[in-house]
Amino acid sequence: MYDAPNLETRVTQTNTKITARGVQVYYGDKQALQDVDVDILDNTVTAFIGPSGCGKSTFLRCLNRMNDTISNARVEGEILLDGENIYDKRVDPVQLRAKVGMVFQKPNPFPKSIYDNVAYGPKIHGLTRSKAELDEIVESSLRKAALWKEVKDRLGEAGTGLSGGQQQRLCIARAVATAPEVLLMDEPCSALDPIATAQVEELIDELRASFSVVIVTHSMQQAARVSQKTAFFHLGNLVEYGDTSHIFTNPSDPRTESYITGRIG
Amino acid sequence: MTDATSSQVPAAAPSPARSSLLTQSALMKKRNAAEARFKAYGVAAICVSLSVLAIMLWTIFSDGVSAFKQASLTFPVTLDADALDPKGNRERAEMMRVTTIGYTKLLNAQLLAHLEARGISTEGVSDKDVAAFISRDTPARLRDMVLEQPELLGQTITVEGFATGRIDGYIKGRVTRDTAALDTNISVAQLDLADRMQDEGILDTKFNWGFLTNPDASDQRPEAAGLGVALIGSAYMMALVVIMVLPLGVAASIYLEEFAPRNRWTDLIEVNISNLAAVPSIVYGILGLAIFINFAKFPQSSPLVGALVLTLMTLPTIIIATRAAIRAVPPSIRDAALGVGASKMQTVFHHVLPLAAPGILTGTILGLASALGETAPLLLIGMVAFVANYPAGPLDGGVLDPATALPVQVYSWASRSDPAFIERSAGAIIVLLAFLVTMNIIAIILRRRFERRW
Repeated sequence: MYDAPNLETRVTQTNTKITARGVQVYYGDKQALQDVDVDILDNTVTAFIGPSGCGKSTFLRCLNRMNDTISNARVEGEILLDGENIYDKRVDPVQLRAKVGMVFQKPNPFPKSIYDNVAYGPKIHGLTRSKAELDEIVESSLRKAALWKEVKDRLGEAGTGLSGGQQQRLCIARAVATAPEVLLMDEPCSALDPIATAQVEELIDELRASFSVVIVTHSMQQAARVSQKTAFFHLGNLVEYGDTSHIFTNPSDPRTESYITGRIG
Repeated sequence: MTDATSSQVPAAAPSPARSSLLTQSALMKKRNAAEARFKAYGVAAICVSLSVLAIMLWTIFSDGVSAFKQASLTFPVTLDADALDPKGNRERAEMMRVTTIGYTKLLNAQLLAHLEARGISTEGVSDKDVAAFISRDTPARLRDMVLEQPELLGQTITVEGFATGRIDGYIKGRVTRDTAALDTNISVAQLDLADRMQDEGILDTKFNWGFLTNPDASDQRPEAAGLGVALIGSAYMMALVVIMVLPLGVAASIYLEEFAPRNRWTDLIEVNISNLAAVPSIVYGILGLAIFINFAKFPQSSPLVGALVLTLMTLPTIIIATRAAIRAVPPSIRDAALGVGASKMQTVFHHVLPLAAPGILTGTILGLASALGETAPLLLIGMVAFVANYPAGPLDGGVLDPATALPVQVYSWASRSDPAFIERSAGAIIVLLAFLVTMNIIAIILRRRFERRW
């Protein structure tokens, strides 16, 4: 699978990208997350694992303020991206989301052409000045998402006509096209078959070179395969956070051990 | 458990034995019978509704198709310059002094002369009753023509004019010898004369373009009544309704669905919109009367007021349809757009609206179709009036001129006494149905086109 000691050395070399301190999330009166403190590193894949409803997706959606779209959601505490609090009043979530891209559980390409899907982000953010530049971004994004070879001859076709795995990679290309600094992935493989999953996982490992990747997953094997850091959530609490190799081989919290060995969750 | 019982387990249920898959169990039969009954109810319901529809269409068409044909008289007329321009100076003002009565006399005399020349006996029919064949519409048209082209005076021209309603009815089969015997307006001898004139080609039926272009006409000359003003009025109103209702409805829906916070106020607005959709249309008529005519002093019977009232009436329907269409757009699309950093407005206009467009379009066209067929509110704002003049063109303030509308014309004709108006009423319904079908087809085509684009 991977060479654990080697990974650890790589992890230590990187800097903190996102710092969360005392994050509380409420849906109406119900508290969904309490006191989450996490440091997410640059150029690292961080996996959030835990049983359903434990708050891992909620926390992920805090990182690009997608929770703002839920009318009764309330976030307390602070989340710093490169030292800036993203919940500061002066921060426009739209600008934030250009820096923190997101890939969703179900592949959700726009019902437009493959080209337009990828070009949409750069267009609205004004990243390009000419058609040629845009073409370049589209190509490089599709290459990064390992989709270029499959679709280069049919960029004008509908993105929704691709297979599930290709759609998800298209969504990754779309997220990558805006040149984000952090890429959030909310169970990106849960709607995919094992072959497509393997492709996406391989891709995630490659993307680590350019971004900080945060992935929520239900599959512990997946977390073990793709991530260097793992956070285990349970009942709205961050139970344990540490190196993946450490969490999976020698968890310090009994709840983590129970989950990993299949006794809860 | 003892050995005895455990060994008896297979034998414990001996009665059903081992059921075969090839025979249906009693319960299965019952379930299948229930399903068959339910299907039969459904088929029966569809058959009943289709037959009702068929009966309705059949009655409308059997009554109304004849409105598109019209009996007309064709005979040569020598325009007697002495009678029509007594001073002989061809001055329009002078010629205006000869009223339609003068032209009527001329036409009557010329028809009698023509019948005599062709050797058609008018036996048993007085000269006055022969003259009654000519519609009162014809002298008026001839007068207009002569005033336009004074050089025609002295010449012999072929005049083609409507025959009166009863004669028209006889040729279409509405008036028979039996009913004529009971009718003081027409005699059996006149019908015999009509037969002879038809044989000679003086009396003939033609496609009645006038039914679609003429303005309304009085009870004195039902044969001349047409839908011209009603068609223009309806067209003006529909155009104005589209212009007003679409931006208002779509903007309101987008705001309520995508931007408005969920609180007591929006709940209140939502409830009120649903309630407004259920308000009887005549109430909107009263509202229009009070606000647009009595308060704002817009002209009565004008398409503008009609369109304002119909806009108010269709707005809730269109808002509800549009909101449903917007809500049907999967939230994953919004997430995707927000996720790449689109603003809320970009999300709505780039992704949600295009996907919702087919639904919005369908809702709008259905709302327009109901507005096109709406009668009650228009009665209250005076569109049931008798309007004999065409409204001006749309750029000349025609929307402020009095007009009627198709459904109102149906209503007004249906309530007139002359039987010739009954067929016109049914004919107007056919025209209305044709417009509704056209609108629905346009809706389907547009929807298909939009859907194919994605």
